Amino acid sequence: MVIATAVILGFVVLIGQLWYLQVLEGGRFLDASDKNRIRIRPIAAPRGILYDRNGTPLVDNRPAFTLSLIPRELPRDVESRDAVLGRVASLLNIPYQELLDAVARVQLDSFLPVRVRRGLTLTDVAKVEEWKLELPGVITEVEPQRVYPTSRFAAHLLGYVREANDEQLKQGRYRRGDMVGQSGLERLLDEYLRGQDGGERIEVDAMGRQVRRVQQMEPHAGAQVVTTIDRGFQEAAERAMDGHAGAVVVMDPRNGDVLAMVSTPAFEIDRFTGTIEREAWLRVVQDPNFPLLNRTIQSQYAPGSVFKIIVAAAGLQEGSITPLDRTFCNGEFRLGTFAFKDWKEGGHGLVDLHQSIVHSCNIFFYQAGLKIGAPAIVKYASAFGFSQPTGVDLPGEKLGFLPQPKAVRGRATKTWPAGETVNMSIGQGAVLVTPMQVARFMSAVANGGVLWRPRLVQRVERSERGVVWADRGQVSGHVELSPVVWAFLRQSMWAVVNDGGTGVGARIPGLDIAGKTGTAQMISKSRADKGQDHAWFAAFAPAKAPEVVVVVLVERGGKGGQVAAPIARKILNAIFYEKVAAVEVDG
Amino acid sequence: MVGIDRRLLQNVDWALIAVAFGLVVMSAVTLASLHVGRAGGSVVVRQLIWFLIGLIALILLGSLDYRRLVRAAPAIYLLGLMGLAAVFVLGRTVSGARRWVVFGPLSIQPSEIFKVCFLLMVVWAITSRWAQPVGKITLALTLPILAVPIVLIIKQPDLGTAILLVPVLGILLIGAGMRLKLLGGLALASLAAMPLAWLALKEYQRERILVFLDPFRDPLGSAYNVIQAKIAIGSGQLLGKGVAGATQSRLAFLPERHTDFIFAVFAEMWGFVGCLVLLFCYVLLLLRGFDIAASAREPVGRLLALGATTLIAAQVLINVGMVTGLLPVVGIPLPMMSYGGSSMVASFMTLGLLLSVRMRQFQ
Repeated sequence: MVIATAVILGFVVLIGQLWYLQVLEGGRFLDASDKNRIRIRPIAAPRGILYDRNGTPLVDNRPAFTLSLIPRELPRDVESRDAVLGRVASLLNIPYQELLDAVARVQLDSFLPVRVRRGLTLTDVAKVEEWKLELPGVITEVEPQRVYPTSRFAAHLLGYVREANDEQLKQGRYRRGDMVGQSGLERLLDEYLRGQDGGERIEVDAMGRQVRRVQQMEPHAGAQVVTTIDRGFQEAAERAMDGHAGAVVVMDPRNGDVLAMVSTPAFEIDRFTGTIEREAWLRVVQDPNFPLLNRTIQSQYAPGSVFKIIVAAAGLQEGSITPLDRTFCNGEFRLGTFAFKDWKEGGHGLVDLHQSIVHSCNIFFYQAGLKIGAPAIVKYASAFGFSQPTGVDLPGEKLGFLPQPKAVRGRATKTWPAGETVNMSIGQGAVLVTPMQVARFMSAVANGGVLWRPRLVQRVERSERGVVWADRGQVSGHVELSPVVWAFLRQSMWAVVNDGGTGVGARIPGLDIAGKTGTAQMISKSRADKGQDHAWFAAFAPAKAPEVVVVVLVERGGKGGQVAAPIARKILNAIFYEKVAAVEVDG
Repeated sequence: MVGIDRRLLQNVDWALIAVAFGLVVMSAVTLASLHVGRAGGSVVVRQLIWFLIGLIALILLGSLDYRRLVRAAPAIYLLGLMGLAAVFVLGRTVSGARRWVVFGPLSIQPSEIFKVCFLLMVVWAITSRWAQPVGKITLALTLPILAVPIVLIIKQPDLGTAILLVPVLGILLIGAGMRLKLLGGLALASLAAMPLAWLALKEYQRERILVFLDPFRDPLGSAYNVIQAKIAIGSGQLLGKGVAGATQSRLAFLPERHTDFIFAVFAEMWGFVGCLVLLFCYVLLLLRGFDIAASAREPVGRLLALGATTLIAAQVLINVGMVTGLLPVVGIPLPMMSYGGSSMVASFMTLGLLLSVRMRQFQ
């Protein structure tokens, strides 16, 4: 009983306190709650920086001005609110409807600023400040924004950053106005790159001026990403591809590191960040050259004569051909009633395997292909990773294609026409590859058979916690060929560039480059000189101890040797020349 | 399971259950108006799911003979202690405190459930034959039961729950006939030990106590909660601002507004009158509890009902006291109102014990 009384007494005290707070002092507190003009001002965390392998930033942040509206501080009645919005629209040249839409999307009693337009100029900011008293609820904020070395720099690799779209908002992980990586590494690593926004509570007076800061939470910057890219190589490759549509992959054959990844034409990555006008957007999306496509992994092409290296490897290793086999090439090969032509009018004369690789003789390979058989060729092609994903970190990778002839006692079945084998022997027909696959294959040739998963990101670091994610590289396959075969292939590819072969356009005196040209026919009887073919050049250097693999593809460029090889030359030149220069500076 | 005969069902305390349901409804309405969480009503839905789980616990405990529960108390108590210790191994850290253990989609706060284990254990100890006659021996037997979990809980740290165990033990000892002189001496001794306890507190806990003593010590930091809660409650005035007008709560001035500070939200929306209704519900509930204790015919049932009622009373008094600025902020939820699954289940388990005693009062 005593205890019950004590408890009741406790409740009486509570009710007394409530009476005091709510009834006696209620008016004062109501006043306080009305005057509780506390503004929550989010402080956007700077997005993490992406660095190249040498610690040079690939992107950076700079402060940018954003126009925001605070719904709760806009005038309550619709008429004067619309007047404020109208004033903003005419001051800053923003479509009035855009402002109305922005306000319509949010709760009207919200304190959280709604970002309306990013990337204000200083003049715009000055205008808003000047008219401050006429524009209640309109503020300018400073936010870090992405800046790129050049407008299209590594656009496909880095990807663009944009406000979260409706779809992403539905997932609930983002707030309206959050900047989210939408493609490339920015999207892949978004969780890491996004920092944690901070915020401050500030008390403001009736004019919206800050009276004092009540509480502050520091924003935490996003994590730093160290990529495998070499910014110098990337820039050199982009310069070399200027004016061409196509792709370049530069890879380190010793570990699969992607040193440069270029897809042209590129989109203007910085235009996508702010508000992009409808026409500009449509221009990019409807561009017949598909600038949004990452051609290094998302486009598939016939490999052309680059594929001859695989045919040669298959034939030599299986023993169906030898380096001593010779064929007389008269420029034409007859199979039944069909005539398969060589690219060279009149043919190459008497050639062996080495010369056929060096001069890219088709006739030799037609016959060799029939001897080796489609199943063996396909077996080696898939051992070199074709028709399989490379496992590169970026999403949307295409697999390429290899036909599947069914082997019956080593020979092709009836349903597999011999003509298909003939076509496949020179990398035409049904075979499709991506430039990234070719780079992985070329790396395997350069390093003696190790297939590396292409690596784009070395590690992700947070300033306070150190390395939070790391990719140590991964071997995804192994091709076993006799050392003699490896040596033969490398020797032939060295001669392609340095001994009067089709790749002479890539030659740099003093640097041993080994490579193979390719010209992929788009349509039958197309003419390379009319620019109807895709030009390939895949190379590694130095031939003795390869450090880089360069794969160049030029869409509708013409002949590999004439178009792609000189581009590869420029890139290799930049890689080795600038490397030497850097060493000299250091010394 | 124990068979339920008609006589047991006749003695179910429907008034107690009705009041508890009323409180849950008020909680759901308040939570729904807050729009906390990502998807609109998910907090309300989760709260109601936890309510259903609590209901099952209530029926289960109600249908069990409480004497059997008390006989099993040492095992239950050990399980509870293991749960507390599990937090350090499996625990998830939320805002600096390791209080939760995660099982798939559920995260459970063992210290909430432990309160019930503690209650059973104390009743067992006091009524055990070694503790007779009630006096110094009883004290010596029960104090370790208090000390071990308090150390574990403070380590988490969860000061509020730890503080709660003290009045439960104290009231039970008084209820068992302990002389007030002896208890008073103990209280004096622990008061003398306070400076030591001060050293054991975490920095933020000390700060809270200092802020309670002087709210304007740090108006921008720790006192922010208290000041904002007072403004919220006070601005509700006599009749409240209604759901739409409750700017303090809805505009997120109030931190922890759906958990420990939910009373402030309620007070802003429904005013002094609403608060009277809410507190009246609690008083009704507690009076039923004390009545059950008084009408129990043997000491185990009497002490169990007394302890269960004290547990709820202490939580309500401390929570409302801290939200209205009468007590320091110690992080105790308001039973059946605050959002939180473990607290909800624990509250209903406590009610289940009360029901069990009531149903068997004539046996």
